[in-house]
Amino acid sequence: MTRLLVAIILVAVLFGLTAVAGLVWAIRRGQFRNLTAGARSIFDNEEPVGRPTDAFPPPREEE
Amino acid sequence: MVLAVQDPSEGADPRQELRSRAEIDRSCQGPVTLFVASAVGWLLFGSLLAMAASIKLHSPGFLSHHAWLTFGRVRPAHLNTVIYGWAAMVGIAAMLWLQTRLSRVTLVFPRLLTAIAWLWNLAVAAGTVAILAGHGTGVEWIEFPVPVALALALLFGAVGLVSFYTFARRPPGHIYVTQWYLFGAILWFPYLYLMAQLMIHLGGATGVVQGSANWWFAHNVLGLFLTPIGVGAVYYLIPKVIGRPIHSYYLSLLGFWSLALFYNWAGTHHLVGGPLPAWLISVGIVGSVMMFIPVTAVAINHHLTMVGHFHMLRTSPTLRFVVFGGMSYTLVSFQGSLQALRGVNEISHFTHYTVAHAHLGVYAFYSMVMFGAVYYMLPRMTGREWSSARLIRIHFWGSALGIALYWGGLTWGGWLQGRMMNDAAIPFLDIVRFTIPFLWSRSFAGVLMTIGHVAFAVLVWRMLAGAREPARAPGPTLLGRPRGEREINPAEAQ
Repeated sequence: MTRLLVAIILVAVLFGLTAVAGLVWAIRRGQFRNLTAGARSIFDNEEPVGRPTDAFPPPREEE
Repeated sequence: MVLAVQDPSEGADPRQELRSRAEIDRSCQGPVTLFVASAVGWLLFGSLLAMAASIKLHSPGFLSHHAWLTFGRVRPAHLNTVIYGWAAMVGIAAMLWLQTRLSRVTLVFPRLLTAIAWLWNLAVAAGTVAILAGHGTGVEWIEFPVPVALALALLFGAVGLVSFYTFARRPPGHIYVTQWYLFGAILWFPYLYLMAQLMIHLGGATGVVQGSANWWFAHNVLGLFLTPIGVGAVYYLIPKVIGRPIHSYYLSLLGFWSLALFYNWAGTHHLVGGPLPAWLISVGIVGSVMMFIPVTAVAINHHLTMVGHFHMLRTSPTLRFVVFGGMSYTLVSFQGSLQALRGVNEISHFTHYTVAHAHLGVYAFYSMVMFGAVYYMLPRMTGREWSSARLIRIHFWGSALGIALYWGGLTWGGWLQGRMMNDAAIPFLDIVRFTIPFLWSRSFAGVLMTIGHVAFAVLVWRMLAGAREPARAPGPTLLGRPRGEREINPAEAQ
């Protein structure tokens, strides 16, 4: 049982380290450099900033 | 097919982008719509179980003639079907679609994902039958028998691998904040689930320690699985619907990383006053209060993004559900941080107040955001339009008014219940009788919510079952326009 607990704690520490590794990786790869571009990365020429992309469906003729 | 859409302002062919986004959306059609349809099915079944459980509390004779319909079985069956059936499956659907969109790749391993969806349904069905037959484990949030649970852990892990593979195929460039959140969810959760099984059901933890393991797990289902998927979805959907980037991208990253840092510690706030070492409980309380930081960051960000655009709540179904959900997230999180304090917990613990809080989180926040996500992604995946604006409105108002009444009634009744329980002069049975009108209000609220779910199910069914329409040409998926704007003909855009 102790061995299981040690294993669990080791895995938990490992997960914590992967989170730190993820953060370091992100910083190194410049993910935090251009935040404005980051916010705009989900827009493009067809769904540009300024155009809404959702609305209620129009009433159908049958209704 | 990987698309290198890096700098759209540099004269990239807009029709190429259009086809690409439409192709990506369409590639999701099979597996993702299967996850959505399954989730909606579990939502309906879970709603029936919910109504039964709710009615039994104020009218105990209801459906009490059969062992498999007794409260002790119906309630955990409700919990597990709405979490592992509805919440998990719609979350995976949203996650897969969002990841393909954000990584700009078509869906990978669609047949594997389809198989996963069917196996998932099977596992949840088997687990639910087991609970109703009396073979539930009796541990909250993990009542499914161990074989079913291990199967789910495996399937969760498989979805995680598919997600990672999708991410690995993305073009170089920015990783949008939503993807951080989704990764958090799908990487954390299989581990959490497996650990919970090992510790609680397979002997890793015994006695009181099982309790802390239980609530470490159960709270992390909310905080490290449902919350990241929900908040991540809001970070994508609000900007996309209103056409405006997130107000402060810096805040969004701060919010994600502080959530990753603080949320995991909060689990023992479920055991305040319990037979755990005081320091362990205090750690949970501190973690819970620290959550003010990411929650405030998210709230400020979403609000400042929406400012000036609240009128669009009238015209966008997705936005209505998502903003309702986002605001509920702020409310339930602030409430949760306060509830963790010993002085507050002394009153609210073991009362209906806690149940109201739980539903504010999983329903008013998470489920409403997921409804919004489905309203956005299903038309884009199938190339069809929602069949009825009226049904959408019925869904919204049924759910919104329903959960408002649910939360209001049980919060009020639960708080008073807690105050009275701390008064030794009041007989317990008097307190029980006092809560009955509030429990009736919850059943009434449940009826409203179920009506909303039925409307939703009809809409989803009509959209998915409309198979006889001709296949649409690849092109932008456009919904109806707000009044005053011209309907753009897809053929013109080619």
